[in-house]
Amino acid sequence: MLADKDRIFTNLYGIGDKSLAGARSRGAWDNTKALLALGRDKIIQEMKDSGLRGRGGAGFSTGLKWSFMPKTPDPARPSYLVINADESEPGTCKDREIMRNDPQTLIEGALIASFAMGAHASYIYVRGEFIAERIALQKAIDEAYEARLIGKDNIHGYPFDLYVHHGAGAYICGEETALIESLEGKKGMPRLKPPFPANVGLYGCPTTVNNVESIAVAPTILRRGASWFAGIGKPNNTGTKLFSISGHVNKPCNVEEAMSIPFRELIDRHCGGVRGGSDNLLAVIPGGSSVRLVPADQIIDCPMDFDSLVKLGSGLGTAAVIVMDKSTDIIRAIARISYFYKHESCGQCTPCREGTGWMWRVVTRMAEGRAHKREIDMLFDVSKQIEGHTICALGDAAAWPIQGLINHFRGEIEKRIDRYAANPHPDPVRVAAE
Amino acid sequence: MTRILVDGVEVDVPAEYTLLQACEEAGAEVPRFCFHERLSIAGNCRMCLVEVKGGPPKPQASCAIAVKDLRPGPDGAPPEVFTKSPMVKKAREGVMEFLLVNHPLDCPICDQGGECDLQDQALAFGGDSSRYAENKRAVEDKYIGPLVKTAMTRCIHCTRCVRFTAEIAGTSDMGAIGRGEDMEITTYLQTAMTSELQGNVTDLCPVGALLPKPQNFRARPWEYQKTETIDVQDALGSAIRVDARGREVIRILPRLNEAVNEEWISDKTRQVVDGLKAQRLDRPYIRENGRLRPASWQEALGTVAAKTKATKAEKIGALVGDLAALEEIFALKLLVEGRGSANLDARQDGSKLDPRFGRASYLFNASIAGIDEADSLLIVGSNPRKEAPVLNARIRKRWLKGDFLISAIGEQADLTYDYDYLGAGPDALARFIESAPTASAKRIVLIGQGALTRPDGRAILALAAQAARKHGGLSEGWNGFSVLHTAAARVGALDLGFTPGQGGLDAADIAKAGVLDLVFNLGADEIAIEPGAFVVYIGTHGDKGAHRADVILPGAAYTEKFGLYVNTEGRVQEALRATFPPGDAREDWAILRALSGALGAPLPFDSQKQLRAKLGEAHPHLLRLDQIGSASAADLEAVALQPATAWKDDFAPAITDFYLTNPIARASATMAECSALALDRLKQAAE
Amino acid sequence: MSYIIRFFTWWNRATLSTGLWTLLYGERVGTDEFGNVYYRRRGGKKDKALGFERRWVIYKGYAEGSATPPGWYGWLHHTVDTPPTQEKYAPKEWELPYRPNLTGTSAAYHPPGSILAEGRRAPAGGDYQAWTPEA
Repeated sequence: MLADKDRIFTNLYGIGDKSLAGARSRGAWDNTKALLALGRDKIIQEMKDSGLRGRGGAGFSTGLKWSFMPKTPDPARPSYLVINADESEPGTCKDREIMRNDPQTLIEGALIASFAMGAHASYIYVRGEFIAERIALQKAIDEAYEARLIGKDNIHGYPFDLYVHHGAGAYICGEETALIESLEGKKGMPRLKPPFPANVGLYGCPTTVNNVESIAVAPTILRRGASWFAGIGKPNNTGTKLFSISGHVNKPCNVEEAMSIPFRELIDRHCGGVRGGSDNLLAVIPGGSSVRLVPADQIIDCPMDFDSLVKLGSGLGTAAVIVMDKSTDIIRAIARISYFYKHESCGQCTPCREGTGWMWRVVTRMAEGRAHKREIDMLFDVSKQIEGHTICALGDAAAWPIQGLINHFRGEIEKRIDRYAANPHPDPVRVAAE
Repeated sequence: MTRILVDGVEVDVPAEYTLLQACEEAGAEVPRFCFHERLSIAGNCRMCLVEVKGGPPKPQASCAIAVKDLRPGPDGAPPEVFTKSPMVKKAREGVMEFLLVNHPLDCPICDQGGECDLQDQALAFGGDSSRYAENKRAVEDKYIGPLVKTAMTRCIHCTRCVRFTAEIAGTSDMGAIGRGEDMEITTYLQTAMTSELQGNVTDLCPVGALLPKPQNFRARPWEYQKTETIDVQDALGSAIRVDARGREVIRILPRLNEAVNEEWISDKTRQVVDGLKAQRLDRPYIRENGRLRPASWQEALGTVAAKTKATKAEKIGALVGDLAALEEIFALKLLVEGRGSANLDARQDGSKLDPRFGRASYLFNASIAGIDEADSLLIVGSNPRKEAPVLNARIRKRWLKGDFLISAIGEQADLTYDYDYLGAGPDALARFIESAPTASAKRIVLIGQGALTRPDGRAILALAAQAARKHGGLSEGWNGFSVLHTAAARVGALDLGFTPGQGGLDAADIAKAGVLDLVFNLGADEIAIEPGAFVVYIGTHGDKGAHRADVILPGAAYTEKFGLYVNTEGRVQEALRATFPPGDAREDWAILRALSGALGAPLPFDSQKQLRAKLGEAHPHLLRLDQIGSASAADLEAVALQPATAWKDDFAPAITDFYLTNPIARASATMAECSALALDRLKQAAE
Repeated sequence: MSYIIRFFTWWNRATLSTGLWTLLYGERVGTDEFGNVYYRRRGGKKDKALGFERRWVIYKGYAEGSATPPGWYGWLHHTVDTPPTQEKYAPKEWELPYRPNLTGTSAAYHPPGSILAEGRRAPAGGDYQAWTPEA
């Protein structure tokens, strides 16, 4: 259980004053100049020592990522920081709370991170559907400019401009290279890697793309020291993390908790437990829709962190915990997720473009039982053919939920098929959505 | 150079090579759809997956990874790549299955069948059956112009066409709308493409989604008789392959020639084919009582011989058109000079180029491939996009590479690249000469026919030579003085000296009323011969020349004869016969030889072989195929010293309608349609 | 002559051994309109190798698999057990009489334009359009 004094986002629920003055009263912008005075290398070293892993889903060390940026500035190719606020992962709703209620942590983090990587301009790419968030964020940035906390000539002595860019609402634009493309005004389609954005990113210049949460926690880490942050959670899975718990719990919520908190504790303490008691738990998708689901018996006492969940064949992702109790039609649930990926596939590369639609159609039929049992293996094989064969990770993300379903609920699918075979009817297939 | 192991074979390749190229080097075949050597890398078809040892445990797209991106193994062992491992095989089968999931598999009714990448690769790298049992996607066909037919259900979204129009053609005509499964390739609002190179997308398309519209359902690829020849629609002499079925030319495709056209051809080159079958002259005609009537060869030749014998030498003239090969120009020259006349001219547009100034004064001295190494370009009185679209693509390619300053004098047209516009007339050229020299050491001064066909063309030529001399166009090992011709026959005719001899008349005078009594017209259709003279027209199409003629002797078009052509850079190339001339038509040199026989003064050859031998005696460089021959830059110094008082008039475009520049194109319905579309666009833009 | 043909060719009527087998064990079931004769094992006895009744046909003349009309085809292939002769099936007025597959014979179908088709071949489009001076 995270103590209140260790919380980073002290106004996560928007109860306090959201303005700059309110944020300052909670400790934001407190002697930021001294933090910058640490110097680039010291800041990056602190971030590395803190063990902060990227909060956007992949869990790559943030400090390490910052260190990839060129050390000596090239006037022809300036460095950029791009903050990924395209929070579109189904189930995830943490960044929007930061932008709505505690935006100054993000702005301060943007300044520090930009300083650490030698960037003088930073872009926040806000998801298209986030209207209120963009307005709140823009207001906060205007306040910060007003107070000369950021800007060309600010009190910190480091010229820095921060821009909010509003996306048009596409899941794929949360992928870092697609985000860069979209920011450049092109169609949001992921780029090939290599070259990585740290070499060739926004407008061909070195760029780091970070999640909102990764950036927003940076000032507090530096203020309180890497050892404080590293002291929370387990080794290699340190610090605090915003969990977004949704689904069949009594009180769905967003909560900042220590990493590696056991699932049972997380649910019981903050969400009032699973609907109908923990015996009623069917499965959990622990990291947003794009990770494999985990059945109840495996997840219930599992620490919620990157490494433990990988061991279960799943992942922490964005820590969007989707809880499903036994009333859930798990096949239909996955079919709906599958439709989401079919809908959001950008269409650039073959396996994802053609495969997501294929998987969706098959799994939708399976949700009604109109399939053959041999198609289960075929579906699994198709998902394997998509996984790892695509340009970006959307192919993997589309394949994993299906694989999780087949791994853990194969019996359920077979039962459904048998039930339909016993009583076939000619009605058209009910489509999962639209 | 980097060492790399491909399937156990060690090869040494440049570090910037992609893995795909390295694999090719090692002899391993890697399937691909989206990858194309001349386009940017998209990496989206995922067909070229290979396994990289020591990399992540998933296959990598070999087209998107450079050899230098691979980490060497422990203790410096070269990185290792597998193209035949079980993982790669399975991955390729998977990707192929995905590609075929929404492909209609309508090969029996698809024109691409037989030359389809998807067919071939499905056979070689695909699985044996499909597991897809759902409904297939169907996509509405798009209208994208008169030259490209679409069947978009077949599209596999490789985006080669999109990248071609954006990068090579520079018009950004095509793009993709929608996303995921619903992504569709189209032009904006289904308007026609605007590029003069749009036909090339049909070659690039690896499936049957984009097909040449005029050849719709005409033939199967294996039915063609293929002839590798060259093109005469512009002065570049692009390498083409003429595909004929039976006695009919069905289509024309580009051939690879790095020195000239790389692998593109213009739409006129490609789709002029129906012009080869329309309006053909297939029998001799004689004008009697003001009307042309069919005649036999004997009768026609007899009439011409009688008229020739009855005419005094100084009253005889000869004109050569834009599509004539060296053989017939040479034969005509011998014939007319043999009668004692000096009234010869091949410059029907009135160009002031003259072989007396040296060969360098009328060649594209920088050479077409030389554009790649130039560092700046001055365009004088030319619109290369219309006069030689393939050359324009080459300029654009150089421009995209960066550090290439382009300035232009003359027409301010959309050339698909940015340039400094200096002015419209000779004044601007004079100002340019006066301006301070830049650091440019390899400048190309491109002079178009728009600047040379004026009465003061000779002065402009001198000014251009001065510009080249002063601004880095003529330096050690570099001759950037480049004349861009519009006619395929022109350089050859100038090399042969088919220009007015001592006291001879030039084209404009030959065409004047009452000056001459007898004019031999070898396919000159762009000049109006005024009434008076007796005109003998040797040509292929019922165009302007035939209407004016008193005797018509039907000749052979460029796909119907063996002939030598010299392109704008002075490169000698041979066109080969793909089909035979229609009806009673004969090869032009043979007609002239027969005519000389009827005159009782036979030309000194009885076969084309002997003709070429004679040609070689007189002009040895014209028999060295695919070579440029010498041109001395010193000649240009002399040109630069000539008086250069030019007029004030603006340079006029040399070509007003790209699609209708010669009799063959004017006979083509396809070209007429393209021309009408282009005219519409022009009108719309003007409004 | 017909005896020799019967002796040496397997593609005309029955071979010698088939005829012998038919004589010994066959029970004639019926004849179709082409004169092909259909047999089954006498008394409908189950065949040891097949596990069910064996049915066969002896063609009249050339042995061609498609020469059995649909009704008899169904019986031969155990789709139905009642031979058509015992059924009261009246052909519909729009039904054409059955024809064996004509592929490989002179009556085979050739699409228009085929060089084997009778009549004139459609022009291939190879001809040019000649110019004529205006009158």
